[in-house]
Amino acid sequence: MSDTKVKCTINGTELEVKPGTTIIQAMTENSQRIAHYCWHPGLSIAGVCRLCMVEIEGNPRVQIACNTVVTEGMKINNTSEKVKDAVKWGLDFHLINHPLDCPICDQAGECGLQDQYMEYGKYTPEMAEAKQKKHKVVDLGPTVVLDSERCILCSRCVRFTDEVSKTNELGIFNRGDHAEIGTHDGKKLDNKYSLNTVDICPVGALTSKDFRFKQRVWYLKDSDTVCNGCSTGCNVKVYFNKEGLFRVKPKTNQNVNGHWMCDEGRDIYKFVNREHRQLKGRKYGAGSWHEEAHAGTAAKDAAMFLKGAKADEIALVLTGQNTNEEYEALLNTFVNNYKTKNVYHWWPHEAQAEQFDGLLLRGDKNPNTAGLKQALAKFGINTKWADLESGLKSGKIKQLVVIAPENIFQYKDMDQKAALFGQAEHLILATSVKFPGIETASLKTATLIPLKSYIEKDGTFVNYKGDVQKFKKATTVVSEALTGVELAHLLAGQSLKIETVATPDLLTAESNTRKDQVTLDHRKKNEFVFNRGRL
Amino acid sequence: MAQATETKYLTEFYHLPEFKGLDGYKKNGGYKELEKALKMQPQAIIDEVKASGLRGRGGAGFSTGMKWGFLPKNNEPRYLLCNADEGEPGTFKDRMMMEKAPHQLIEGMIISAFAINSKKSYIYVRGEYDDSINALNAAIQEAYKAGYLGKNILGSGFDHDMDVYRGAGAYICGEETGMISSLEGLKGQPKLKPPFPAVQGYLRKPTIVNNVETLAVVKYVIRDGAAHYRKFGTEKSAGTKLFSLSGNVVKPGNYEVPLAFPMKDMIYGLGGGFKAGRQLKAVIPGGSSAPVLTAEEANRATLDYENLAQMGSMLGSGAIIVIDDSNCMVQCLANLTHFYHHESCGQCTPCREGTGWLDKIVHSILSGKGRPQDIELLIKVADNMKGKTICALSDAAALPVLSFVTKFRDEFEYFVREGKSKVKGTAFAPKGGAHVGH
Repeated sequence: MSDTKVKCTINGTELEVKPGTTIIQAMTENSQRIAHYCWHPGLSIAGVCRLCMVEIEGNPRVQIACNTVVTEGMKINNTSEKVKDAVKWGLDFHLINHPLDCPICDQAGECGLQDQYMEYGKYTPEMAEAKQKKHKVVDLGPTVVLDSERCILCSRCVRFTDEVSKTNELGIFNRGDHAEIGTHDGKKLDNKYSLNTVDICPVGALTSKDFRFKQRVWYLKDSDTVCNGCSTGCNVKVYFNKEGLFRVKPKTNQNVNGHWMCDEGRDIYKFVNREHRQLKGRKYGAGSWHEEAHAGTAAKDAAMFLKGAKADEIALVLTGQNTNEEYEALLNTFVNNYKTKNVYHWWPHEAQAEQFDGLLLRGDKNPNTAGLKQALAKFGINTKWADLESGLKSGKIKQLVVIAPENIFQYKDMDQKAALFGQAEHLILATSVKFPGIETASLKTATLIPLKSYIEKDGTFVNYKGDVQKFKKATTVVSEALTGVELAHLLAGQSLKIETVATPDLLTAESNTRKDQVTLDHRKKNEFVFNRGRL
Repeated sequence: MAQATETKYLTEFYHLPEFKGLDGYKKNGGYKELEKALKMQPQAIIDEVKASGLRGRGGAGFSTGMKWGFLPKNNEPRYLLCNADEGEPGTFKDRMMMEKAPHQLIEGMIISAFAINSKKSYIYVRGEYDDSINALNAAIQEAYKAGYLGKNILGSGFDHDMDVYRGAGAYICGEETGMISSLEGLKGQPKLKPPFPAVQGYLRKPTIVNNVETLAVVKYVIRDGAAHYRKFGTEKSAGTKLFSLSGNVVKPGNYEVPLAFPMKDMIYGLGGGFKAGRQLKAVIPGGSSAPVLTAEEANRATLDYENLAQMGSMLGSGAIIVIDDSNCMVQCLANLTHFYHHESCGQCTPCREGTGWLDKIVHSILSGKGRPQDIELLIKVADNMKGKTICALSDAAALPVLSFVTKFRDEFEYFVREGKSKVKGTAFAPKGGAHVGH
């Protein structure tokens, strides 16, 4: 394609677009509003919702913007009365058989039909006839439930399974106004990307079994972050409120994940919530766990142990789940303050690290293995895991500091590792989640320090191809926990006056929490919802 | 009434049972034009067809030569599809042509394929047309044996293969891109345009879709030349056309007449008028999608593209449905709305939801539950279904509603007011409405 641009005027604004750009692309890329349901930038053009109507000068009929390519000098508008009227009726056709069960619909609050109705609603319902009856609560598969009456047959989900996941489970069956989405005979909607269909469903027809009925979306805030489920580093949005985190959705980044994320990545909110978390510092000695301690106190106590040990008696275990800034600070403490290079890389996925499913999922289940490797190389560290095992067995390593992984779903070896680490004379275990197996492992002495999760801190990850991605703190679940940087300072015997670490600003997942979102103060006033608790 | 007669140009030998077989067909001039055409330059055939003024006989009336001209000028493989999915209610001309003269269509197709340099063609036949399918299959076998199909046809170096594909009974597969989807093994749903089939059609290759009658005419344009063909009809509506006359006439059937033939002569002359005591009330001139004409309009209409367009209707597929005064227009419309509700493919929202809505309103009127505002609502809904969808089915469903309601408004108002038909003796037989079956 040549570099020449095509000039056009949209709603009075002159624009230059690449040749071959459709009107809807030109409009959405230039922040112009246009109603649409079936068009999705990551899917082929269906042209069936007939909502993205525009008027083109010289053409008496309104056209759909999704299948009309911008040509030189084209004058386009979607604000004329003619267009508005077309959209108004187009929307009404969508609504006449829609059940309008917004009060019990999970999509309410983020529904395409509601959004467009505010702008283009006819407001005078004229449909007096009985609505079409279709199937409700259809179990499509392990992750998704379908309500056919809410469905507007935009075919986005069908095209997704056809074009993106390439699993072809979904189809539209029957025709006319009794057409319905469904799975082909004997199949279930069961693939590693199935929940994307819920994201792209513009209405409440497809709902996630994990999220449905848990929260009203207007009681949720969202924040951008980077998925820590594998080394792809998909850009995602996490949705949360004071009760915790509730769901994860993909955020578009063409350089990394396009518009999608995998179903595995949707679970990364779960281990962040309080029920999985290490809430307090703890100590182990004389055969039992005792005295809960403040995180900072626990860390300062741990520092005393380190100070009393010789350099080669100290070892540090890291995983690819922390930020570059944490690696930097921790390695600085150990290499420069304690003069030890006994730093070991805990990496159960090493053998499968090169696996890739062709879309997003990678075998390395850590978001920052590349960052850890860079940091280790920077500090001149080159160790073997076997040395740690033999060091622990022989008793050479006495003070073992372990920065535990967060994603316990992806670390299947934590029980064994608890037993291994327990051999140290004193185990300093810094962890954000409750470390599986640590309660039953035979330990000598240990200090447990609660850490913050990726959702609670700023930082950068380096993904498999070397993209440095910055993310910001979204919310705080365990307020007392420490970040890795704070821990490093405390272990070094320093106060928590932390200098800000400069972060490279390449691919950012900037926070864009919606300004119009309801604050939680409002929520507190709502007795019913407040007392309802978790469903 | 003036003595109206048919002009048997295409149908000259249709009365001969032998015309169906290869021998009988050849005895009456068959395959002579193929021999002639294979010696011509393909472009010369296209030019001749363009010059003849032949317009598509399937319904849209688009210039055939111009359609062929849209094909890319390269050697990319291309397909010729014959649209024999004759589904427009009231139309039964293609069926007769395929049953009585399958070789006529095959010859026309081979000539057309040669002109557009297509090595493969399909005849997509309506699933219910058993006899047509059998006749075509037999004729194609004969044509292969005689060397009119296959490799190196009549020593010209031109190869062509032809197959019959049986539809599965969906009206929408008569829409050319719906037909292409169906032929590709997909659900019979029209495709988004652009790209148009001539650029990207069957299997994403350039494709020409023509009606049975259109392709058969090509043979005669080659035989007699464009100038001769233009002697029939008018400047913009050249040639003869087959009309399927049905409804309340005494002699329904297929009649071939030159275009611009008076409608009056068709109904009262060829059709033999009405039963004693009945008189003309309305005419649907071009298949069920064409807006209805009142008796007064019908009496001054001529059967050509421009006159009917001027009257706000269309020539369409040439299916003339005659309605006499014993019919209730509300019931007639209910028949049509039921049909379109049943046949909408469900892709585009305005059509999927609109056809059902119209049908439900009309049936609600029919069952005596009509509200006064329903009449205006029918017009509004139909108006907003027009020109908003991928294919013309939405328009086809909307146009009859608009014309019936505006032209016979009194009957609709009476039905809403009284809860019964204005026409005495018409039984209430609701069909469709909310309960469209699968």
